[in-house]
Amino acid sequence: MIDLRAMTDPTLIRNFSIIAHIDHGKSTLADRVLELTHTIEDRDMMEQVLDSMDIERERGITIKAQAVRVLYEADDGKTYTLNLIDTPGHVDFTYEVSRSLAACEGVLLVVDAAQGVEAQTVANALMAMNAHLEIIPLINKIDLPSAEPERVRHEIEEALQIPADEAVLTSAKTGEGVRAALESVVRRVPAPVGDPAAPLKALIFDSFFDAYRGVVALIRVVDGHVAAGMKIRMMATQTVTDVEEVGVRRPQQVPVSELGVGEVGYLITGLKDPSLVKVGDTVTAAKHGSLDPLPGYRDVKPMVYTGLFPIDGDQYPELRDALDKLRLNDPAIIYEPESSHALGFGFRCGFLGLLHMEIVKERLEREFDLDLLATAPSVEFHVFKTNGEEIAIHSPQDMPDPGVLDRVEEPYLKVTVLVPPEYVGAVMEMNDNHRSTFVNMQYLSATTVDMHYEMPLSELIMDYFDQLKSRTKGYASLDYEYIGYRESDLVKLDVLLAGKPVDALSFIVHKDKAYARGKVLTEKLRKIIPRQMFEVAIQAAIGGRIIARETVSAKRKDVIAKCYGGDISRKRKLLEKQKKGKKRMKNLGNVEVPQEAFMAILKVDD
Amino acid sequence: MASEAAMRPAVSSGLATLAADTAAAALPVSLYVHVPFCVSKCAYCDFHSVPGHESWRQPFVDAALFEVGHWSHHDLLDDVPTVYVGGGTPTLLGDGLVRLVRGLRETARIRPQAEFTVETNPETTDAILVAALIDGGVNRFSLGVQSFDDEILRILGRCHDAEAASGAARTLRDAGAAFSIDLICGVPGQSFESWDDTLEKAVASGARHVSVYPLTVEDGTPLAVAVESGSMPALDPDVAADMMLAADVALAAAGMPRYEVASYAQPGHEARHNQVYWSGGAYLGIGPSAASMLPHDTYVRLADGEGWPLPEQDGGQPPLARTRFSHSSDLPAYLRRPLTAPTELEHLSEAEVKREDVMLGLRLRRGVLAASVEAAGLTAVLGGLADKGLVSLSERDGDARWRTTEQGWLLGNEVFGSVWAGE
Repeated sequence: MIDLRAMTDPTLIRNFSIIAHIDHGKSTLADRVLELTHTIEDRDMMEQVLDSMDIERERGITIKAQAVRVLYEADDGKTYTLNLIDTPGHVDFTYEVSRSLAACEGVLLVVDAAQGVEAQTVANALMAMNAHLEIIPLINKIDLPSAEPERVRHEIEEALQIPADEAVLTSAKTGEGVRAALESVVRRVPAPVGDPAAPLKALIFDSFFDAYRGVVALIRVVDGHVAAGMKIRMMATQTVTDVEEVGVRRPQQVPVSELGVGEVGYLITGLKDPSLVKVGDTVTAAKHGSLDPLPGYRDVKPMVYTGLFPIDGDQYPELRDALDKLRLNDPAIIYEPESSHALGFGFRCGFLGLLHMEIVKERLEREFDLDLLATAPSVEFHVFKTNGEEIAIHSPQDMPDPGVLDRVEEPYLKVTVLVPPEYVGAVMEMNDNHRSTFVNMQYLSATTVDMHYEMPLSELIMDYFDQLKSRTKGYASLDYEYIGYRESDLVKLDVLLAGKPVDALSFIVHKDKAYARGKVLTEKLRKIIPRQMFEVAIQAAIGGRIIARETVSAKRKDVIAKCYGGDISRKRKLLEKQKKGKKRMKNLGNVEVPQEAFMAILKVDD
Repeated sequence: MASEAAMRPAVSSGLATLAADTAAAALPVSLYVHVPFCVSKCAYCDFHSVPGHESWRQPFVDAALFEVGHWSHHDLLDDVPTVYVGGGTPTLLGDGLVRLVRGLRETARIRPQAEFTVETNPETTDAILVAALIDGGVNRFSLGVQSFDDEILRILGRCHDAEAASGAARTLRDAGAAFSIDLICGVPGQSFESWDDTLEKAVASGARHVSVYPLTVEDGTPLAVAVESGSMPALDPDVAADMMLAADVALAAAGMPRYEVASYAQPGHEARHNQVYWSGGAYLGIGPSAASMLPHDTYVRLADGEGWPLPEQDGGQPPLARTRFSHSSDLPAYLRRPLTAPTELEHLSEAEVKREDVMLGLRLRRGVLAASVEAAGLTAVLGGLADKGLVSLSERDGDARWRTTEQGWLLGNEVFGSVWAGE
């Protein structure tokens, strides 16, 4: 048995990550690795051990990176220290994934034996290649009756240009092949190389907040070593602080005296401000430290913005506290106060992507017991005014008057869609409706076509993914990367309810699509807004000019007349339930508006 | 006489007190008996009833009578102003129902002039049974017709046709019994012509009381499944509204003005039992799932003797005034042991009782005294509803009363919900 507390010989260390498209079995494979190496005893085992958040487990996704050290007795008789770095799988977290990969020398690329290569498989594999990592393909779920390992092997070779004759065949579910996978890791992933005598250089690949200890950084030591008591500097933020504790995660935290070359572990400094401990930053010694940071650091910028408002206006202070607390664990969120005539006081929040937004909203509601209303997501528009002024706006409400607008630019993406050939037509037709430009496409195999487009981000956040899934019967997979700002002919579309503009329903849309969107949106709202005691007009307008109108006629009958054998309690409960339903709605100038209304804009292409 | 008390089964001190207290002026307590059997389940029904189960019917009568005997014994049924035997389909019990009715008469102290109603359905309204029930003291029947249109009856999943409904009405009329007819409007596929025809036939049947319910889709019913799957169109509330208005006109013209949101009657034939529900009167429900309402102190004394749950007293809350409770709908469990603790239990404070009385009172045409509304702190709420045209304040015979308007009855949930919420 190796002493965990001592530094490990780098030749016996293997740092690797498991990367996969969602649902291809990454977390289950990690569970099996923990079992096989006796890191976690059977009695403590539960599913998705490394996904500690409820949301991660329920949705079967990984949001936060994790690192766990396991000891593996290999066939060569030696005991290796394997550091498994679990990464988030979703495109929203591309930067975080790239930093996690930078902490590794190799990856297990998990591909579902039935689903085959998907868009995120390609994206993840490309990232691993760019990071010069050893890629070990692993064809998982071979226990499925629909498994076709040979076809998938072929797809991996075609699509990814990775030799797959040595691909490991596994079933993470049954445990078959998991030991073979670890043997491949030991054999094929290079041992970390670094200079133990050089000044400390360690990569921060994730961080989280501990209520008692402050910010805990997950690090990978590249050169030198780090030990408790050292004075260190975070190079990007120029923060100098003392090291309180270093240790390894198994997955619970075990302090060690120091972490040396190639080792992965955690670092506690007592810092309470997460914005000082940034993912991708380099830790070095405060005195005589390294001068050149590790490459790849980037200040992460939110891509998607939304207004979050408490349904009960009195919960505004609670929402602020909740955001402050959540940000400790998720420094990627930004927020600033926003006030809306319709919705009162809330926050305009920026997120890495749509999934990130959904997760944060859900965590706020769940962990802090808040009832929130989210306005339709938007992007950061760059507005150039006629007076030469340039502003960035995150909310449709901030769009200046058309009279003072010179031009507007919006963020564009390079979008990759992988789809079976029979759906190519459907994808092309759909993308035409999303202001996209076709770049090229490539047949990866008889069953997979790789299509490339350029498209505004604002189109992608319009329910694009759900539509893509439904038009391709779930076969398409999607990935994208940001390619910069481009000019677009954009206008602000306003919505009026009972003659009054509702600022929270405004959105920015391409001029050519404004009429169609306005019409469909008012039709949608007519179906969403329940009948009220009076007639309600729903109008869409551009710059004060009405372009569409629908009417919700007044409610005529709503009564529980039945007597229920004198069961007044039951009757009253039905009334209370109805009243409660109303309370979940937002009262805008006497019109009761259900929450879905604020998301209706996203569904206008159905 | 002294020996009678000694012969009683062991009675706790709580019930003994109850007996002593009520000896002077007995609390009027109406009786509701829930008979949970029916021929077959209708598509819209979510009341507790089970089709078939013939072998359970006589044990049910025994259990119900045991329960009534128990409460009579404990002096809870010393002054019974109204009795309603509902269901399910009570007449499905046949002779068992006659035994039940006679048993009730013998066991509880039912007022001589009490209203005694039995619910029945066309397929089980038999002349001999009706005669036996009248002989046993029943003086009113409520006939579940729902429609005189075979197509609508089929959609509702009723197990009788229009002819059977007319026949049953004739049987009741020939027996000289007062009876009410239940009708349902707003059924998908129901035309105004069909509805007018149904109203006409209801009037012609000789009924002196008609109840009109707009169809509601209750969760988990076959109707809900049909609407969900699209095999049946969703209900149109506008059509239901127009049909309720049509009923109002047709029945008033036939001498049966509306006296409650869903009820129409010839003057003097209003259902007294249902008015107990709307006016804060006490009632005891017998049988599985049956609901009861008692003044809170009566409940406390009764629960004390039965070992039923009592509200937690930490002294901080306002005193409680009214208790509503109901029992499990588990029929086999009920047959094994009829007198179990309530599964639903609700204690209302004095302030809640006042609000509830206003809420229920607004179901009635006579409305609620302005003074009661003021005492419940609801004058402003009703003022707001008046602005929307749902209620109005008027004075008649020196009494200022709030009354629900026609519009208010159609949007009853708006009125009742606001009143109960007090906002």
